[in-house]
Amino acid sequence: MRRPSPRSVVLGVCALIALMISSCDFRVERSPDVLTTSLLGDPTILNPVLATDAYAQGILSYIYQGLLDLDIETMELVPMLAERWEASEDHLSYTYWIREGVRWQDGTPFTVDDVLFTFETILDPKVDAARLRNYFRNLKAIERVGDRGVRFVFTEPYFRAHIMCGRQPIIPKHIFGDGQEMNSHPANRTPVGTGPYRFAEWKTGQRVRLDRFEGYWGDKPAIRGIVYKIIPEQVTAFQLMRKGGLDADTVSAVQWARQTEDRAFNERFSKHRFFPPNYFFVAWNNRKPYFSDPLVRRAMTMLIDREAIVRELLFGQGHVIDSSFYLYGREVDRDITPLPYDPAQAVKLLDASGWIDHDGDGIRDKDGTPFRFVYLYPAESRLARSIGIFMREDLAKVGIDCEPRQIEWATLLKLLGERNYDATQLGYTGQLESDPFQVWHSSQAEAGSNLSGFADARADALIEEARRTFDRDRRIELYREFQRIVHAAQPVTFLFTSATLEVVDRRFTDVVDYPMGLDLMKWGIGPSAVLYEW
Amino acid sequence: MFSYVIKRLLLMIPTFFGIVVVTFAVVHLAPGDPAELKAQSAREAIASDQATQQIVAETRALYGLDKPLVVQFGLWMKRVVTLDFGTSFRDHRPVIDKIGDALPITLTLNVLTILIVYLVSIPLGVYTALKPRGVADRAATVGLLVLYSLPSFWVAMMLIVAFGGGGDWFNWFPITGFVSDHADLLPWYGWVANVAWHLVLPVACLTYGGFAFLSRFARTAMLEVIRQDYVRTARAKGLSEWCVVTKHALRNALIPMLTLMGTLLPALLGGSVIVEQIFAIPGMGRLGFESVLARDYPVIMAIATISAVLTLLSILITDILYAVVDPRVTFGKR
Repeated sequence: MRRPSPRSVVLGVCALIALMISSCDFRVERSPDVLTTSLLGDPTILNPVLATDAYAQGILSYIYQGLLDLDIETMELVPMLAERWEASEDHLSYTYWIREGVRWQDGTPFTVDDVLFTFETILDPKVDAARLRNYFRNLKAIERVGDRGVRFVFTEPYFRAHIMCGRQPIIPKHIFGDGQEMNSHPANRTPVGTGPYRFAEWKTGQRVRLDRFEGYWGDKPAIRGIVYKIIPEQVTAFQLMRKGGLDADTVSAVQWARQTEDRAFNERFSKHRFFPPNYFFVAWNNRKPYFSDPLVRRAMTMLIDREAIVRELLFGQGHVIDSSFYLYGREVDRDITPLPYDPAQAVKLLDASGWIDHDGDGIRDKDGTPFRFVYLYPAESRLARSIGIFMREDLAKVGIDCEPRQIEWATLLKLLGERNYDATQLGYTGQLESDPFQVWHSSQAEAGSNLSGFADARADALIEEARRTFDRDRRIELYREFQRIVHAAQPVTFLFTSATLEVVDRRFTDVVDYPMGLDLMKWGIGPSAVLYEW
Repeated sequence: MFSYVIKRLLLMIPTFFGIVVVTFAVVHLAPGDPAELKAQSAREAIASDQATQQIVAETRALYGLDKPLVVQFGLWMKRVVTLDFGTSFRDHRPVIDKIGDALPITLTLNVLTILIVYLVSIPLGVYTALKPRGVADRAATVGLLVLYSLPSFWVAMMLIVAFGGGGDWFNWFPITGFVSDHADLLPWYGWVANVAWHLVLPVACLTYGGFAFLSRFARTAMLEVIRQDYVRTARAKGLSEWCVVTKHALRNALIPMLTLMGTLLPALLGGSVIVEQIFAIPGMGRLGFESVLARDYPVIMAIATISAVLTLLSILITDILYAVVDPRVTFGKR
């Protein structure tokens, strides 16, 4: 037998591959009724009691529900699993009556036992829900009231108690209460809730898929399913969307400004911008000699060109702020004008504070300490790095030596926890009406989230009083006074609130912009060309 | 031979122990703590209050991180000898399952990559060795140097932009994942084609850099052999050039290349972090990388342990293969 020549073998293989590629058998059609989006990473765990990451919380919000819901239009609390509720005069106990006829996605009826079980689980020290447990430390008792009622009793009045109890997603007792250990329960990867979507599949590193729950008690959404593709690289996700592999996704500011302008893109996708509660800031460690003086901190704020940062680094997709409260919230004191970018004025402040270049080495100093500090930034944050470069240049001009230093996230957290840092840049996501206690109360300066070490007796009193105040208008007054104190002290330099930028395929109809974002529960589906999986 | 293998296997135990001790120490001594990360990775990045300290302590107790390092190591060793790598701190899944998900994907990628690299590089190396300093040799040198110098993250990004343009450019290949969703609805050959279609860009990224090293290696080995007397003898016998090169020269030139086998097994297992990250492929590289960032000790240790065992085994296999291929090498009593 003649052996085939190497050349013919190569040709044969090429022909075979070409045949495989060209035969259309390997493409799969994609349903137009299913919405495909992306996540930068896997959710850690799909259990609303154990999950701490935003990805899991986003997915779980379609599967699990709380006793109450936040109306996306009015931002008021509205009934969800609870039909009605009442609070006691002293604001120490809250009673909820649950809705009849609600079923879990496996068909089991939803009962008061599930509510009791959820909160007992949270309070169980063996459960890996330490962060959540922290919010319920003042919860004294959870009692059953008749067949359909449940009462929460607290030891101290707290204005957020109602929203905390009401918004906590409820987990099913008949599944998690089977005696298996909660932390490694199999249902943590195959959740069963009462919500409009039920869990279908989770392939680690590839996708999470949800299907519409046909037995849902409320109004069923038009979208039949949601697929979250796990794509760690934002560039890749964006290109996949352009190819038609994704229907809706968040995009970065640079993509929004530079890569979504062409006609082809806008014919296919609609663009949406909104400002959910978040704030970015540079934290100065007020315990360090150079940042202990409010004059110096005011000077630092005036040396950072925040408008330029928003313009150059965020491509205009942000708002300069001077407060940790929600940008559009009534709490924000709009009479406070953010300090301007004014290096000349800053130099005067620095001179007045006694930080003068005594020894003539070009660096300001005081009591023998040179004004030389390290600015730490997490390795993955391009924004924080760019701010560092801005600062080094601008501060060098006025005789301050700032050394930007890149550091891994876990290590940064450890150093911040030890308060072993000079300055860093962080972003927090907040709530519609956040409680400043965690971040600004002096009791949190040693081991809590008060990183800068801000301590002011009057501010403390205001924060504490607000926690016990149930009249929102009165709370707003207290918070405005609090903001004026923070503004004068500048313990941190507030930078901006950044926009969330979303792009949605035009085959979805009724895509309404709310201040907090989009609500796909209300979308419809229009006609579209045949879609393929990529 | 048999006693030699046994001896070598026994010698592997202390080496393995050494590797594992060092890895364990490095992983645990690195700053950052899974319990703290967990308490603080929350909505408000660092937000927590003093109760968090208690919480961190609770979480550490839950994970057994409150015990002295030596005790932790002992407990870990005890489980590992029964092949129990524990459960991940991040999602409480058994570590073996997580590796089981990622490994087949990385294996497919790496087997293909290594196959292509070898299939291209060795013929190329041999060919350039036949006419050293000829036009082909010089062209190959320059071309390979250029390929070798291109960073893979840049090439990956360029490929994604070029092949992902939504019809602007070449909308030919998928840029994410290993296989399409719902591809299991396809007949098996459709499924295979779908996977092959997905692997075009990542494999292209993984291979081009490997050509330079291996083809240079093959060229050098071939140049050594081609000057030998027995090659001249073979030519003198009147054998065809094809026969001389493949039968007499190439076989002998392959012996030094066995050394490279030593790195092959662990290389099969270890994924490329960059390529897997950019092309959203859920392989071993991403698993390892994400575990390190989250300080997921059980996963990190399992990957390190498996790599250590494979490295040691492949070194042993390489040594044995020397004896098989080269009759001048023997082990044990003479």
